[in-house]
Amino acid sequence: MAYFLGIDIGSATSKGIITEDGSTVSRHLLPSGVNYRLAAQEMVEGLLAKSGVAQEDIACTVATGQGSANVEIADQEVADIRCCARGIFSIFPSVRTVIDVQGQSTQVLRLNGEGQVANFVVSEKCASGSGRFLDIIANVLQIKLEDIGPLSLESKNPVTFTTGCAVFGESEAVSRVSEGVAREDIIAGVHQALAEKISSLVGKVGLEERCAITGGGGLNTGLIKWIERKLGIELLVPPEPQLVTALGAAIMAEEACK
Amino acid sequence: MTTEAKPRALNRLQSMYALRAEVDKMYEGGVEASEEGRPVAWVMLEGWSNAILNAMGVNTVFPENYSSLCAAQGVATPFLERSEAEGYPTHLCGYARTCVGYSSRMVELDGKIPPEAPAGGMPKPILLVASGEVCDARFKWFQSLGRFFDAPVWTIESPYPGLRERLTEGAHERNVNFLINELKAFVAFLEKLLGKKMDWDALEHTGGGTNEINRWRWEINELRKARPGPMNTRDFWSAVTAALFRGAANPDVITKGFERMYDEVKERVNNGIAGINRPEKYRLSFEGLPPWHSLGFLEQLAERGWNFVIESAYRPPRPITIDLSKYSDPMERYVRRRYRRLEDSLEEDYGPEEAGLIIDEILCDGVSRRMGLRHIRDYQVDGVVLHVLLTCRSTSAGLNLLQHRLLDVLKVPSLVIEGDIIDVSAFNPAEALRNAETFEETMDHYRKVRKELGMPW
Repeated sequence: MAYFLGIDIGSATSKGIITEDGSTVSRHLLPSGVNYRLAAQEMVEGLLAKSGVAQEDIACTVATGQGSANVEIADQEVADIRCCARGIFSIFPSVRTVIDVQGQSTQVLRLNGEGQVANFVVSEKCASGSGRFLDIIANVLQIKLEDIGPLSLESKNPVTFTTGCAVFGESEAVSRVSEGVAREDIIAGVHQALAEKISSLVGKVGLEERCAITGGGGLNTGLIKWIERKLGIELLVPPEPQLVTALGAAIMAEEACK
Repeated sequence: MTTEAKPRALNRLQSMYALRAEVDKMYEGGVEASEEGRPVAWVMLEGWSNAILNAMGVNTVFPENYSSLCAAQGVATPFLERSEAEGYPTHLCGYARTCVGYSSRMVELDGKIPPEAPAGGMPKPILLVASGEVCDARFKWFQSLGRFFDAPVWTIESPYPGLRERLTEGAHERNVNFLINELKAFVAFLEKLLGKKMDWDALEHTGGGTNEINRWRWEINELRKARPGPMNTRDFWSAVTAALFRGAANPDVITKGFERMYDEVKERVNNGIAGINRPEKYRLSFEGLPPWHSLGFLEQLAERGWNFVIESAYRPPRPITIDLSKYSDPMERYVRRRYRRLEDSLEEDYGPEEAGLIIDEILCDGVSRRMGLRHIRDYQVDGVVLHVLLTCRSTSAGLNLLQHRLLDVLKVPSLVIEGDIIDVSAFNPAEALRNAETFEETMDHYRKVRKELGMPW
């Protein structure tokens, strides 16, 4: 039996999937840490242990993400945007726009009817356009990352940030805390700012429905709502948004063997 | 067993090396002149001033070009850091910051050329000649240099109106007269500074080569329309400096260099030889100024089968014959030889019918879509790389608009690469290469779209 492995070594989280005949056999996530090579090794070991598949039964491995060069067993490296496109298209064939919110950047993709990347745009070199911005502010407010989304939806009066920079945004958040502004209003302001950045990226490639969200940002219910409000649409959210790119890598591994 | 080494992906033109060497000679000539006590000026652009200065026996060197040379040789960063220490913010033009850092270093060394300066360096100037063309940095930067040197600063103001304004009645003659007066004032200033009279006969020679050089450059670009593209943009960038910043070089030598380049490119076209040693998978245009610090990046893209067959910057206009027989004033002859009526250029370049449509577009919108997109259409480009420069508004401001127009009108996609002409820290080659891979899928998609629409490529 032939198995296919897709590994996505992201800047914050590493993700992996083993597939067989297009079905997922096992999935695994772990923090990438500061040693991508080690993360890649642990990813392979974790996936094999969970699935019971032997490494020699893996027919092809595709690596993607920031740390893809560190996946020693990879047969091929593929750009993460292409993998994301393949992954989401396999889940939602009607999708034509994808918002992929990652730890280091946000990218917006337009897909054609065959799931290929017809256009794309990547956020500029600035943390304020990425999930990292939320991470920084969550740290300032001492809130768990998974709680910031729901908390942002409780806000009645979101703070307007006067800066588009994550570093200055952090100090602005500290100032607001010292002024006694409610945490939900600060965190809502950050979500709003990120949603506005994402909205402008969507504008650059042009919105075509249906539109899905992937990456770690797809786990943040607050961010989803803020983007939906900004764009005036309903986003499709895959069951495991963080794993979409790894799934696409596994699909491309399977395609490479055909 | 021995394996044969794979040739480099870029197939460099041999004729380029001789032209590139002329730029080195220009800097060597500047140092030599300074050592012999002859005057040297730092000049912004070849522009209008270089031929006049050369005719008066002043050697010229070009801080703008020298900054790119520093970047290409990997020595710009200490000058950038020095400029920042002088209080110049990092979002200013990279050329200006490199030059300010270089000047600051010269002051530290009592006017001597820094030993780390590439190509022999730029010697201390007796004069700084700025230009009002294209951007404010080009004169504000030279005003700043005035702080470092005991040298006067002169700004050549030349008319730089919008396209619509150039078409207003009488605009051309007003611009010509403005230029003549401006340059005569410059000559008067030089005569006073140097204590000698202008050599008008010499100006006929020093100012006469530009049109001939541009004629060969235009012919070369015409050949570049061939499939596969015979000349990669890497060679264009290496050679173009010899045309744009020729300094005191004999115009005939530079003309000959470009004539040889034409012969070599023609030979390649006749034999189906490409500017890359790989199959030409994609034909691209490079929009904006290049990352001088990382031109090797083009080698990596060529490895993927990317052939940059044309670029947006410094494309010479189609040569036209100008009758100067009725003008006897040498300055007027000098100006009229190079400053063209927009209507004449358009008619010659596009033919009367399309020129009329372009003029209508300009009168209506202030710009012409046909003109802006022409090279993409003529060179049958699959994709465009937009090099968005964080420190250059002039070349970056219109790129987003261009991106939309390319897609809307010609169904040609663009890849945005952020970077800088000088500052290597603003450029992420790994990210750019990752995006390049995805962009191939996008170019493939739009090839299908163009085919479905019955477009010619």
